[in-house]
Amino acid sequence: MSDQTAHGTVPIACSINGRAYSLDVQVNERLLDVLRYRLGLTGTKEGCGEGECGACTVLLDGLPVNSCLVPAYQVDGRSVETVEGTDEQWAAHLHEHGTTQCGACTPGVVMTARWLDDTNPEDLSVREALAGNLCRCTGYRGICEGIKATLKARQQSSNEEGNP
Amino acid sequence: MSHSDLLMKTEMAMPRTLKQACEVQSNGLHDKNDIPGMPLPVLKAAGIDLMDHWKEGLTAPGQVSNLLALRDPSLHRLSADSIGALCTLSAIADSTAVRKSAPVIAQAAESTATPQIRNVATAGGNLFQRPRCWYYRAHQFDCLKKGGHMCFAVEGENRYHAVFGNGPCHIVHPSNLANALSVCQAEVLVVSSAQGTEEPRRVPMHQLFCLPEDRLKSEHTLGPDEIAVGISYRAAPHSAHYEVREKQSFDWPLVMASVALDMRDDGRTIAAARVCAGGVAPIPWRMPQVERALAGINVKDTQRVRQACDLAIRGAQPMSNNAYKLRILPVAVSRAVRLAVG
Amino acid sequence: MKRIEGISKLTGRERYVDDLPLEGFLWGATVRSPAARGRIKAIHFGTDIDWSQFVIVDHRDIPGPNEVAMIERDMPILAASEVRHAHEAILCLAHPDRHELRRAVASVRVEIEPEEPYLDFVAEPTQSQIQYGSDNVFKHIAVNKGDVEQALAEADVIIEGVYETGAQEHVYIEPQGMVAWEDDAGVLRLTGSLQCPYYVLNALMHGLNRTAEQVRVIQASTGGAFGGKEDYPSIIGLHTALLTLKAGCPVKMIYDRGEDLAATTKRHPSHIRHRTGFARDGRLLAQDIDIRLDAGAYVTLSPVVLSRCVIHAAGPYQCANVRINGQAVMTNRVPFGAFRGFGAPQSHFANERHMDAAARQLGIGPAELRRINLIRDGQQTATGQVINDGTDRVGLLDDALSRADYGRLREAHRAFNASNPYRRRGIGIATFHHGAGFTGSGEVDLASVVNVAGLADGRVEVQVANTEMGQGALTVLTQIAAARLGYDTNDIVIAPADTALVPNSGPTVASRTAMVVGFLIEQACDDLQAGVMQAAACDQRPVGAHLKQAIQIVVSQTEDHQPIIGSATYGKPPDVHWDEATYTGSAYGTYAWAAYVASVEVDLRTFVTTVTDFVAVQEIGTVLNEGLARGQIEGGVVQAIGWALSEECLWDEQGGMSNAQLTNYIIPTSCDVPLNIDVGFVENPYAYGAQGAKGIGELPMDGPAAAVLNAIADATGVNPTVVPMTPERLMELLVPNE
Repeated sequence: MSDQTAHGTVPIACSINGRAYSLDVQVNERLLDVLRYRLGLTGTKEGCGEGECGACTVLLDGLPVNSCLVPAYQVDGRSVETVEGTDEQWAAHLHEHGTTQCGACTPGVVMTARWLDDTNPEDLSVREALAGNLCRCTGYRGICEGIKATLKARQQSSNEEGNP
Repeated sequence: MSHSDLLMKTEMAMPRTLKQACEVQSNGLHDKNDIPGMPLPVLKAAGIDLMDHWKEGLTAPGQVSNLLALRDPSLHRLSADSIGALCTLSAIADSTAVRKSAPVIAQAAESTATPQIRNVATAGGNLFQRPRCWYYRAHQFDCLKKGGHMCFAVEGENRYHAVFGNGPCHIVHPSNLANALSVCQAEVLVVSSAQGTEEPRRVPMHQLFCLPEDRLKSEHTLGPDEIAVGISYRAAPHSAHYEVREKQSFDWPLVMASVALDMRDDGRTIAAARVCAGGVAPIPWRMPQVERALAGINVKDTQRVRQACDLAIRGAQPMSNNAYKLRILPVAVSRAVRLAVG
Repeated sequence: MKRIEGISKLTGRERYVDDLPLEGFLWGATVRSPAARGRIKAIHFGTDIDWSQFVIVDHRDIPGPNEVAMIERDMPILAASEVRHAHEAILCLAHPDRHELRRAVASVRVEIEPEEPYLDFVAEPTQSQIQYGSDNVFKHIAVNKGDVEQALAEADVIIEGVYETGAQEHVYIEPQGMVAWEDDAGVLRLTGSLQCPYYVLNALMHGLNRTAEQVRVIQASTGGAFGGKEDYPSIIGLHTALLTLKAGCPVKMIYDRGEDLAATTKRHPSHIRHRTGFARDGRLLAQDIDIRLDAGAYVTLSPVVLSRCVIHAAGPYQCANVRINGQAVMTNRVPFGAFRGFGAPQSHFANERHMDAAARQLGIGPAELRRINLIRDGQQTATGQVINDGTDRVGLLDDALSRADYGRLREAHRAFNASNPYRRRGIGIATFHHGAGFTGSGEVDLASVVNVAGLADGRVEVQVANTEMGQGALTVLTQIAAARLGYDTNDIVIAPADTALVPNSGPTVASRTAMVVGFLIEQACDDLQAGVMQAAACDQRPVGAHLKQAIQIVVSQTEDHQPIIGSATYGKPPDVHWDEATYTGSAYGTYAWAAYVASVEVDLRTFVTTVTDFVAVQEIGTVLNEGLARGQIEGGVVQAIGWALSEECLWDEQGGMSNAQLTNYIIPTSCDVPLNIDVGFVENPYAYGAQGAKGIGELPMDGPAAAVLNAIADATGVNPTVVPMTPERLMELLVPNE
């Protein structure tokens, strides 16, 4: 008999957008529901609940995952980033390129984009990286171009900071 | 707690060692003698498929053993001949060792679902995920796998169903990793209380999965007390995985083919071939007739390669809406052969 | 100008209905029919559930008539004694815990005494399948121009074809959702994801037996709609309201994706037959067109969808003799409803595919056949509307061809196809049009009202019931008002789409918002300026800073700083005459025109089609905001490519959707779309649209399916007539003997 048995709830400690949280979560509770309904982080959306659409994408230890398919207890000891932690500069860049229309897929798209942050946009197939984010409004060009331009602009500005 | 209370509750074991995990799996979270009829815990890794089952109401809440809590480093090992059960598909796809040793495995991992899924889905979870059949996945259809009396695909929509090994249930096996491992002569390493954790039982791929005629409610042959901890595979430098899909992302492929070739020293002649087709049968479907026909062929002889691959459909029994699979299956096999040659 | 709410969406601050803060509420859910048709014998509540914990609503809890007020009132809010389609709503439940609620819904068993359903809308119904009139036909529309029989008898060549399209699901990324509560004054408030607040208001007034003052509908930020949130929110709105009234606390109902796919409206499946007479030189002499649409179980919007379908069926061509017979047929499927294009995509698909089939049989190039027949100024449409807008439709086509490098590509494809063993490339054209705004006398009947209010600080608030759902309405309407008043866009406010705060400016549908409502905003702005001029005794019409200042003064002089209002009501443009009885005259005030060119590559071994390039050129009057307009075109083209190639609703034996998961209903991903969609605009201002704008939203849905299938025909030599043209269907055409 394991001494590590959870009866209904599990205590977890994790970091969300850089802030430390301690919570008791249900065994069958989804990370998405904890974020949205318990912490009020409603930026992350539910589009399908089956890991198909990517609207609920968050970064878990820096990697994009579908928060509708991640059991909440599984983020114990780990770090979660959501769209609310996105800096304004990111949003401003994407805004320039028609990246959002109805906005329902947008938080997920932004999180996938942030995952690509340190990647060289020239080497990257943004389309492939975005294959897990369904959008029904834009036809994807606005999203892909927005992300490429943003990555480029961010790299330029970080290069400039690095070489004063 | 009464029996029915327990059945209504979700409880989770978080074993930290394999030994603990095996104990949980053989005894349950409570002493099984106290509660007759209590099912043994469901094993889970990332929990993707389990969350989906809960959401659709396919699995009642119950006991779960969370393998992701295990602290054993061997479960994350990734090398030129082994894959730990908890390695993510992203890690497998990105692993230089795997890419070099057996490209077919890395390609199959990479072609699964989306980046978001690959970042959490594990090798073990991928092998043992339940089928994608839409009748199985919808709670209102009481199909054979759920203890019902009929397979709804027979009279219903069966375009994505099986053309080999059919009946009485007509699912296709959902794992593309299993397909690739099959041509790398892989074995799955299994532990249990009875077996112990030191010397895992080695189950070859062709014995891991079973046809519906042999077992309906499960797709694999492992016992309820057994836990898969890893995979060992043989190098297959001339290997490739090819899928035909309706869309390019997160779509279960219409058909897929994994091919591994042993080449003679001349670099042109196939000494031996291993071919496995997916999306066509309830288990990864090896194609010995194609394998035999490919042996001895010069890979530049495209006509003979094509003739060998055309044998892929021998013995197929298509259903009312899926005869198209017979058209595209030989194509998938021959394209995988071409990619495997490099 | 960039999208006004863009930053809010990109940072996750934008609040959709499920994001609104709400305390002490219950979740709502729906129990649905398992059968296509039958009488409800009994409802069994499972014994594994403590039902005292649940609020349960059935048809007996409806204060008003059990009718969802739409064009007709045939649809019950909750089925009482009979069901007409699978997934029809029967009960609503509410409970604080969503998991418990799900379990409860699953434990209700509805016992149905089955009756024979009518599921195949193409076949004539048998006697026992007839449920509406004598033939299940909800609506019949006929257009007759000239003498078709005579012209067919005299034609050199007669070409026939049958074309079919399947149902298409909207897949707005935000599913349907509503929140309802009663405020302290006893006003029932409803907020949710919706296109048309006043449609929902009317449905609530009727079903709940309340006056307009006792109900209030507020649009929440809406995550995509495409027509799917035109009529359906009335249904989910009524359900949520009924639960709230019974529970005495707020209720929130959010569909999960599976329920949304299975239970909500979709694009009407169509079956269209063309019989066409041509002169040897390619001139169209006669068009004889039969249209049958699957309307589903209730009337909903089908008569209007059929109307648009019929009016667009003859295409953008001149033909002296046209006969169109359209029928919308009742079946025991989920009701089909509004979806971007509203009947026109089905018509244009059939007609444009037929033109290519004709071109091949006549031995005339597809572009040339269109050049010959495209309507010239002074010529008449099928309904006898004289087109005289100065648009060069042939020039539009030539522009699209030249952007696509059509001539060179055709040669290159021919060479490629001759040398490649199994890849085939092809290129296809579609020329088409889309009537802007409501059909016929629709706009006159709506009598839309728009107000603009000069506020105490001099800013101007635009008060319209039209909604932002991703298309950019907030931004474009702001631009229109600012330009008219000489204002900075920051000094324009768009009032919330709240029926207590804004007049009924009509629904946000039919590509009418920028054109019709925008034009009314301009007139209301003029009215405001005139009012301010009078009140402030200016010598001339005030604009810009002067206007702002004058408004501040005028408002400050009123007793309680009441804003000063400018108003406008829709008036029919002159020369627009429509006869509903004979289906003749000006079906629309104006049309947008387009020429699209698609390039594809077909893999002859896997039968997979890839759209490699796309050119979309259109004349839409004045382009108000190029970035937003381009986004509309690109998004519409991709949605239409999905319809053309992969999106298919599969039905089970009870007429329900068997692939009601996004895993199995396949919409395009970023990897499935052409790398480049070249969007071109030709501007030709329309006198009765804001700044000369015409409608734009639906147009890009109309042409791509035909262009893509024409390209497949060009690549492979087969004659595809069905969408979606999935690999399986294409295989049947390419390998006919299996």
